[in-house]
Amino acid sequence: MSDKSRFVVNKSPEAYTEEAGTLPWALAWRIAWRESRASLGRFAFVVAAVAIGVAALVGVRGFSNLFETVLLKEARNLMAADLSVRVFRLPTPEQENALQSLEKEGIIYTQVTESVSMLSAGPETVPLLVSVKAVDPTLYPFYGEFRAKPAGKLQDILQPDAVLVAEDLMIRFELELGDSIRLGSASFRVAGTVENEPDRMTGSLNAGPRVLMSREALERTGLITEGSRAAQRFLFRFPAAEPGKPVVNVEQVRERLKEAFPGAMISDFRQVHPAIQRGLQSATTFLSLVSLIALIVGSLGVGMAMQAHLQQKLDSIAIMKAVGARSNQILRIYGLQTLILGGTGALLGVLVGTGVQRVFPLLLERNFPVAAQIGWEPWSAMQGIATGVLSTLLFTLPSLLDIRRIRPNVILRREMEEGRKTWKERLRESRVPLATGFLILLGIGAIASWLSNSVRLGAYFVGAIVVALLVLNGIGWLLLQGLKRIAEGKTFRLSMTVRQGFGNLYRPGNHARAALVALGVGVTFTLTVYLVQGSMLASMVASAPPNMPNVFFINVQPNQQDELLRIVKSQKGLAGEPSVRSSVSMRLDQIGGKKLDDFQLEGFDRRFQRERNGREAAELPAGTTLVDGSWWSKAAGTAEAPVVSIAEDAAKALHIQVGTRIRWVAAGQPLEAMVVAIHKTEESRMDAGFDYLFPPGRLSGLPTIYFGAVRMTPADVPALQRAVYGAFPSITVINIADVLAIVQEVLDQVTIFVEFISFFAILAGVVILSASIAGTRFRRIREVAILKTLGATRSRLRGIFSVEFTLLGLVAGLMGALIASGFSALVLQRFFDAQAPFPWQPIAVCIVATVLIANVAGWLASLRILDQKPLVVLRGD
Amino acid sequence: MADSPVIAVEGVTKSIVNGARRVDILRGIDFSVERGQFVALMGSSGSGKSTLLGLLAGLDAVSSGSIRVDGAEITKMGEDALALLRSRKIGFVFQSFNLIPTLTAEENILLPFELSGAKGDGRQRAQELLMQVGLEHRGHHYPVQLSGGEQQRVALARAFITRPSLLLADEPTGNLDSSNGRHILELLVRINRKEGATLVMVTHDAALAAYADRSILMRDGLIVADTLQTPAELATEVVG
Repeated sequence: MSDKSRFVVNKSPEAYTEEAGTLPWALAWRIAWRESRASLGRFAFVVAAVAIGVAALVGVRGFSNLFETVLLKEARNLMAADLSVRVFRLPTPEQENALQSLEKEGIIYTQVTESVSMLSAGPETVPLLVSVKAVDPTLYPFYGEFRAKPAGKLQDILQPDAVLVAEDLMIRFELELGDSIRLGSASFRVAGTVENEPDRMTGSLNAGPRVLMSREALERTGLITEGSRAAQRFLFRFPAAEPGKPVVNVEQVRERLKEAFPGAMISDFRQVHPAIQRGLQSATTFLSLVSLIALIVGSLGVGMAMQAHLQQKLDSIAIMKAVGARSNQILRIYGLQTLILGGTGALLGVLVGTGVQRVFPLLLERNFPVAAQIGWEPWSAMQGIATGVLSTLLFTLPSLLDIRRIRPNVILRREMEEGRKTWKERLRESRVPLATGFLILLGIGAIASWLSNSVRLGAYFVGAIVVALLVLNGIGWLLLQGLKRIAEGKTFRLSMTVRQGFGNLYRPGNHARAALVALGVGVTFTLTVYLVQGSMLASMVASAPPNMPNVFFINVQPNQQDELLRIVKSQKGLAGEPSVRSSVSMRLDQIGGKKLDDFQLEGFDRRFQRERNGREAAELPAGTTLVDGSWWSKAAGTAEAPVVSIAEDAAKALHIQVGTRIRWVAAGQPLEAMVVAIHKTEESRMDAGFDYLFPPGRLSGLPTIYFGAVRMTPADVPALQRAVYGAFPSITVINIADVLAIVQEVLDQVTIFVEFISFFAILAGVVILSASIAGTRFRRIREVAILKTLGATRSRLRGIFSVEFTLLGLVAGLMGALIASGFSALVLQRFFDAQAPFPWQPIAVCIVATVLIANVAGWLASLRILDQKPLVVLRGD
Repeated sequence: MADSPVIAVEGVTKSIVNGARRVDILRGIDFSVERGQFVALMGSSGSGKSTLLGLLAGLDAVSSGSIRVDGAEITKMGEDALALLRSRKIGFVFQSFNLIPTLTAEENILLPFELSGAKGDGRQRAQELLMQVGLEHRGHHYPVQLSGGEQQRVALARAFITRPSLLLADEPTGNLDSSNGRHILELLVRINRKEGATLVMVTHDAALAAYADRSILMRDGLIVADTLQTPAELATEVVG
């Protein structure tokens, strides 16, 4: 007994609170690992749920990062230059001087003009909106490869009478090489098709098939005059570094150009082109948050599975506590187990996500040929693992903390349950769950902020999650209660199979509502995307106000106005009075003495930094109302004063009030006025495009363009296009139906991405449903044994389970469909002012699909339950 | 400390609320147990004996009264302090063995030792105990690979690993056939004699209670009889 003292510790009771024996990590790991291994089936669901969310996230972010790297590497080729400057007007003499002074320093430049115009392939065909691009073929492109078919040197091909066109234009007009097309006031020979245009991604005004021509050819069309809607890009090539010659200081060149071209978009080879980067960032943020939803749905499943697991481990936990383990020591075991599961899921997700990264280039191939150069991206993989493990831990936290509440006495006396608690006790006990819930939301917010690089967006995301979960839970509860009423009601006498199926949904331990929420999230998401993109344009057209124009005329010259109106009025199918407006492009320079650069404009508000339209108006235009101030009048003496009325949107974004002094620059000339009114114009009116209204005469002498609009029956638009083109080939006629077709094409491409990712959310929902059903496996096995003993046949048991799964699918589908249709109607109403008819068909398809999914998931998780022999199960009780 | 009782129970009551009904399981218990004594706690089902045993181990809280174990008032201790006390001073043998299914026999035996943070070669001690219970070759087996009697022998070894001053046994033979039951009890008494712990055993079997040197009989939450048996009788019964 000599070594007894090593084991017996005789200390006062107080000393025991101070000291803590620790459960060695190795032992905790062994228990965690062995339990995970023993519950492999259930944990397979958990791992899959995490993997799905992480895969989506890694796929999106990995691709985005890789794409950005490729864009940066290829920046020169994508711009076809070392540096580019884009403006929307012809250069002034001062700007020409600035360009020439750079040229003297060895920096060569070339001008590229891009615009939209009408192209005709013969008097019988309807003129088509095309993207015109004019280059100097002796210089363009400085970098990257331009390929034409048939192959040849660009300067040989682009003669003043020749053009290269897009392949689809050839197909559309059934053109052959050497055929003639008309553009503006000149005819051109089709010399070939454009195979590869290096700077297509960084170009402007890309609407319709490409027509490429030389600058001389553009002159011949007569399309470009002062004030025409055209983008001018100046491409620069820096001299090669040579010993003894100073290297070009890119920053200095940028500064000089910024000064010469205020408000221009300047980009150089050291950065991803701003136009692409903004789009890429927005898309990455959006898709990351969608992936995060998939991950959250997955993590919810992990939480549920862990709860079911701990419920089964109640005995083990109680035994450990009885032999001296403290709650924190047991937490170590299950915390480790969560880490094992989350980590395994995350690693698997990274593997799948790497595969997803390789799918994106296939989706993008058409517009982004460089996208195919994709490799492996470690940062997004690490981000995926961190996010996967963190969200798993967050969602298992409530179950883990519940370990503290497990009393060791359950191994002695199971029936010793606590009685009903007072509200004070319940309130006290709910403090921990509330704090945990807060912690989970905080965690999600932090992850969302991290992924989107914006705390504000993270907060919005959390807010949306809370609202969505509340709504889904509320609707789920209502539907389940409604079903219960039906099942218990006396109106219908339901068969025993149906009643048992109903009953399964309400049994203790069944996570019907959690499964509903998970599946509902997936359904809501997918259906909302489908409904918004599918019906948005149709609804917009269908619900457009009757006076809204559907045909627009741009590049109208002052002397063409009257004749244009006469031609339009002589057409069949006129549904409204045609109108022509004058417009002056002007860029805000100062507001109340403060430079515009000092204003922090974000998102859509950034449009006010660019050139916007202003016009003269003697009277308040029809459909326009004053929000503040008063309109000018001769009586008040303001009609000749330097005053202006500002559109409400601009006033809000720039904090402009009545009395604020504003300075613009229009065609290089300063223009000043004091705000006397703030106005608002109905969206459907042509005047909605004007931000600044001036009294008559205030804009005289400034370069003015004219454009017109009219509403016609869609069938008569082609005849109008032919007539206007016949008289004025330089006037561009834009049929809204064509534009919508282009928008639809873009939308369809965006939708592919969103649907691809929302598929992950659905998959996560399926996994959760399976996990939730697998969680009730032991209860089901027992119930099946009892029912079999009492004489239930296999087919009856199959019927009971099928009723349960069908009801789950039905409720989840119905719930998702209700929310999705409500949400999409809200989006259409709020952002597009459009009404959508109730989408019966997609909703019906969606509900049926959800029922099928629920049955597949349910039966997958219930395999072999029906095969258990009753005696074996009941003896093991 | 040597002369003070290992267990001192004063005015202990325990009630639970079951739905709207209040059930008094223990209605005022007073007794003490001297060091080294073997006490059989007897009574029919529902008499409160298992509840009392659980309270002695600090597995549940009393409704009123106080319990001192080895001089320490456990009724005033928090959950973690109680857990630490159990790991160092109290061994527990359950009717349904209660081994952790994911740990081997040896790991199950070692668990309280590791939880107590005791220094020394726990593995060697576990081997000794495995030998004492006749399972020296079964240490790497999982509970599911052992018979009921073998599992209870592992549970016995686990109860003694930290050389507790108090061993509590809740119907340790209740889940075993009579031959296995007798063997387990003999083992329990023999090892306990060697280790010198105080033993409190719950049983409703008078034949098993005859092994003890003191019997406490409970009925409806009260002690109705407390009888001392002669050590000579005990020696004849057990060691033979």
